[in-house]
Amino acid sequence: MLDMLKEAFRSIAHNKLRTALSMIGIIIGVAAVIGVVSVAEGTSRSIRQSLTSIGSNLILVSPGFTRGGGGRTATALTEVLEKEDADRIAQLCPSVRYVTPIQQGNFIVQHERQNSMATVMAARPVLFDMINVKLFQGEFFNESDERAKRRVAVIGKEVADELFPNGDALGQTIRITSGSIRQTYMVIGVLEKSGNLLFLNPDRSIVVPFASAENRLFRRKNVSMIVAQAISENMANQAVSEIDSVLFDKFQNEEKYRIVSQDALLETVNQTMAVLSFMLGSIAGISLLVGGIGIMNIMLVTVTERTREIGVRKAIGASRRHILLQFLLESIVLTFVAGLLGIAAGFGLSKLIAKIGSVQTAVTPTVVLVAVSVSIMVGLFFGVWPAMRASKLDPVEALRYE
Amino acid sequence: MAEIIRVENVKKIYRMGDNEVRALDGVSLVVEEGEFLIVMGPSGSGKTTLLHLMGCLDKPTEGEIYIASTPVSKLNDPQLAKIRNKMVGFVFQQFNLLPRLTALENVELPMIYAGVPKAARRRKAKELLELVGLGDRLHHRPTQLSGGQMQRVAIARALANDPVVLLADEPTGNLDSKSGEEILKIFSGLNKRGQTIVIVTHDPEVARHGDRIVRMRDGKILSEEVNVHA
Repeated sequence: MLDMLKEAFRSIAHNKLRTALSMIGIIIGVAAVIGVVSVAEGTSRSIRQSLTSIGSNLILVSPGFTRGGGGRTATALTEVLEKEDADRIAQLCPSVRYVTPIQQGNFIVQHERQNSMATVMAARPVLFDMINVKLFQGEFFNESDERAKRRVAVIGKEVADELFPNGDALGQTIRITSGSIRQTYMVIGVLEKSGNLLFLNPDRSIVVPFASAENRLFRRKNVSMIVAQAISENMANQAVSEIDSVLFDKFQNEEKYRIVSQDALLETVNQTMAVLSFMLGSIAGISLLVGGIGIMNIMLVTVTERTREIGVRKAIGASRRHILLQFLLESIVLTFVAGLLGIAAGFGLSKLIAKIGSVQTAVTPTVVLVAVSVSIMVGLFFGVWPAMRASKLDPVEALRYE
Repeated sequence: MAEIIRVENVKKIYRMGDNEVRALDGVSLVVEEGEFLIVMGPSGSGKTTLLHLMGCLDKPTEGEIYIASTPVSKLNDPQLAKIRNKMVGFVFQQFNLLPRLTALENVELPMIYAGVPKAARRRKAKELLELVGLGDRLHHRPTQLSGGQMQRVAIARALANDPVVLLADEPTGNLDSKSGEEILKIFSGLNKRGQTIVIVTHDPEVARHGDRIVRMRDGKILSEEVNVHA
C-alpha cells in the first residue's frame, strides 16, 4: 500500500504541467469555499460581538406598532409603556434581576461656547449594572441621586471631547435644551469609548437619573422602552414569558408592545448566518465539482495513455483490484494535494479579503475539514470511473496497444 | 518428469463482425518440467495466442488448460492474477519495461504485487540483475539501456517470483543478431539450471536452442520433433 502511494506520487510528479493544471480547479474550489465561508463566519462573529458586548441576557420591551393595510400606514405606538410597568415587572417577575424604564431623545447640549447634539437617556442607576460600559473618569450616579432627583450626568466620550476640548469635564455643568425645554446638569462621569452597542451608542449619549429628567426634559408620561435583565441565560425565556404576562394583563392586546430578548436575537443571527454560510459555501463548492470533472478528464487521458503499462502490469501479476487502486490512489492524491494547496490559498484569500474589504473574516477548523474531505471525495468520485476502465482492460489487447 | 502445463483440445475463436477467426483450433500440448520448448510457426499461426493462454492472460473459448494441475477456466481474476504473478514469467518481444522505473524497480514490481517485503525484494532484484549481467546498471532507466540490456532486465523481472515456467514471445525479434544470441545464451543457461522455458518464434535460429520443437499453422499443431542439437 505504501509502495502504491509512493508510486502514485511519482506518477503525478512525472507530468508536472498537466498535474498543476488539473489541480488548479480543485485549488480554486477549496480556496473559494474557505474564503467565502470565512467572510460569512467573520461577519457572524462581529454581529454576535456587537450583540453581546453590551451585556448579557438583556430583554428589551418597546411599544408595538399598528398594522398598515387598507390605506393606513403602519405607525409606531408611543403612548403605551409607562414607568409603572417597569415597577410591576420588578415586583412580579422573579426571573428578572434588574429592570429600568428608559426615556430617550435627541437634544442640543451646551457648555459655555461649545455645543453639540447628543442622545439623552434617562434611566435608573441599575442600568450601569446591566450593560457593559466602563468609566473613563469620574463615577456613575447612584440610587440616592435618583431619589433626590439630582441633576447629574454621565456623558459619552465623544460628547465630552466636543464640549470640553481642553480636557477635564468632571464637575462642569452642561445645558440640555430642546425648544423651550432646558435644564442644566453637572458632569460626574465620562464613559470609555465603546462603539455602537445593541440599542445605544454610549459615545454619543448623556445618561441622567430617570427621576431627574422625566418631568423636566421629557415632559411625558410614556417611556421610550423598558430594559430588563434575566437572572441567568437559562432563565431568559422564563423572564420573557413573565414580562409578557404582566404586560398582557395590562393591555389585553399583544400588539401594543414588543419584547425582544438578546438570546432570541442571537439565536436568529446564528441561524441566519449558518444558512448563509452554507449557501455561499455550496455555491463556491460548485467550482469544486467543476474541478472534479477536470480531474476525471485528465485521469481518463492518463488511463488511455498508459494502456500498455496496464497490460504489462497485469501480465506480471497485477489483479484488477491492484490497477483500480493504483489509479484511484492517483486521483485521490491529486485532489488531496490540491486540497492542501487550496487551504493555503483559502487562508491567503481570507486574509486578503479582511485587509481590502475591511470586514472581519474567520477560518474555522470545520470549514477546512469539510473542504479537504470534499476534495478527497471529489477525487474518489471522479476517479472511480477512469480507474474502473483501467482495471477492466483486457490484458492481451492492452499489451498490443501502441 | 512432472507436467507443468497441460493444454487440452483448446480452441480460441474471435468474432470479427460476421467472420469467425479460429486463432486456435483444437490444440493439445504438454509442457514438461525442465524442458526448453520452442513453438514455431509463421505469423497468424496462433502461437502467440497459445502463449497468452498458457500464461493466463487470456481464456480459451473451448477446452481446458492446467497449470501445475490446476484447471484455469474456473479461476477468477485475483486467482488468475496470482498465477501470472507467481507461476509464470513473461518475456515480450517489445521488452515492455515500465519507462519511469529503474531497472531495479522494474524487477521489483512483480514482487510488490506478491507482497514481498522491501528489503527482501531489493536483494532478490539485485541478485537477478547480476545473474543476467546487469549488476552495474541497477539504477538505469529503460531509455538509458540498449535493446539487449532491456531484454535482460525483462528476463530478470520474469524470474522475480521464481516461476515454474518462463514464457517468451519472440524474445529476440527486436534485437540485432549479436544481442539476440546473448539473450538465447541466457535462456539456455537458465534451462541448464532447471528452469522450464517456452519460447514462441518464427526464427529457425532461435529454434535451434530448444529441446523440442512444436510447429503450428492456422491454429493447429502440425508436427512435433525432438531437437538433436544437444
